Amino acid sequence: MAVRNIVTYPNQILKTPCQVVEQIDDWVRQLVDDLVDTMHAGPGSVGVASPQIGVSLRVCVIDVSKNRHGKDNNHGLLLMINPEILARSGAAVMREGCMSVPDYTGDVERSTELTLRFTEPDGTVREFEASGFEAVAIQHELDHLDGLLFLDRIASLKTGLFRRKSYK
Amino acid sequence: MNLCRKPNLAHFAVTIIGKDRTGIVADTAEVLYRLGCNVEDSSCTMLGGEFAMILIVSHEKPFSKKQLEAEFATKNANTGLSAFIRNLKDDEVCYRGPEGELCLISVYGSDKSGIVYRVTRELADRGVSIADLNTKLIGTPADPVYVLVLEAALPTGMAVEDVTNLLEKLKKELSVEISVRLITPVSL
Repeated sequence: MAVRNIVTYPNQILKTPCQVVEQIDDWVRQLVDDLVDTMHAGPGSVGVASPQIGVSLRVCVIDVSKNRHGKDNNHGLLLMINPEILARSGAAVMREGCMSVPDYTGDVERSTELTLRFTEPDGTVREFEASGFEAVAIQHELDHLDGLLFLDRIASLKTGLFRRKSYK
Repeated sequence: MNLCRKPNLAHFAVTIIGKDRTGIVADTAEVLYRLGCNVEDSSCTMLGGEFAMILIVSHEKPFSKKQLEAEFATKNANTGLSAFIRNLKDDEVCYRGPEGELCLISVYGSDKSGIVYRVTRELADRGVSIADLNTKLIGTPADPVYVLVLEAALPTGMAVEDVTNLLEKLKKELSVEISVRLITPVSL
């Protein structure tokens, strides 16, 4: 049981694609436990990815069940090793914030439905469909595993709505 | 965004506006860079054919508004750009984010006078604080359509539905469409 410090940008580990977990051992299971503890310690946090605690491995945890956006549509606590998005559809914009980028939020477009596959700490391979806020949270955390921050995906509402026009 | 006054820094609000051309931002940024100013916060956009810049800049003390003004006066001579600079006090620099829900309100309909006034007055009277606001005249010259989009921070305890209800009668009165949606950021 350990709450780990959250790494913040410009730490370059956040911009580095993570390594695949080759073997799930006690060290990896401890990492998953630490991620859960760290998530629960963060105010309102619904997910933490390994690089956010300084470990460049494809592991993250998500739980949107206590969040108002996710409480009616979720799969509970997800402990994900080597997660992959197999299919995606739909699109919606949400204003996101991230513990690794304090004091800033931005509008990001994400898929609204996902088919997902990952391995659990006991070695079980799970595959399921997620939607709504849980799907947004999964994409945000999986981006961390690819070295991407929400800042890489910001969509400006204003420029989308108001195309520049010539007044001349 | 956390922008808190550091005691060794002087802060200024700089507003620059002029007929749009290539290089306004670069020219302005160059003046600030050469003077050793930091751009702490800024918003720059095209409004009509004008390019408008609003910046909060800081500089290590001692530094005066006059130095900034003199530099811009030289740089902007014969360019048609106007610059306005204001000293900022401590309590103007420290910013605290809103505590209530954030919502996005869009209002649109046939162009008529009073749309901005009526909507914002209604909100202000209920303690709703506007964080960002844009308007645009779109449509055709024969059928002009006015669009107003604003982001507002609601007072603690006020819900998005309350805002929708509040603006319902304006919708009929002004014959405009009004939609309100929650955009309070999610922490991931």
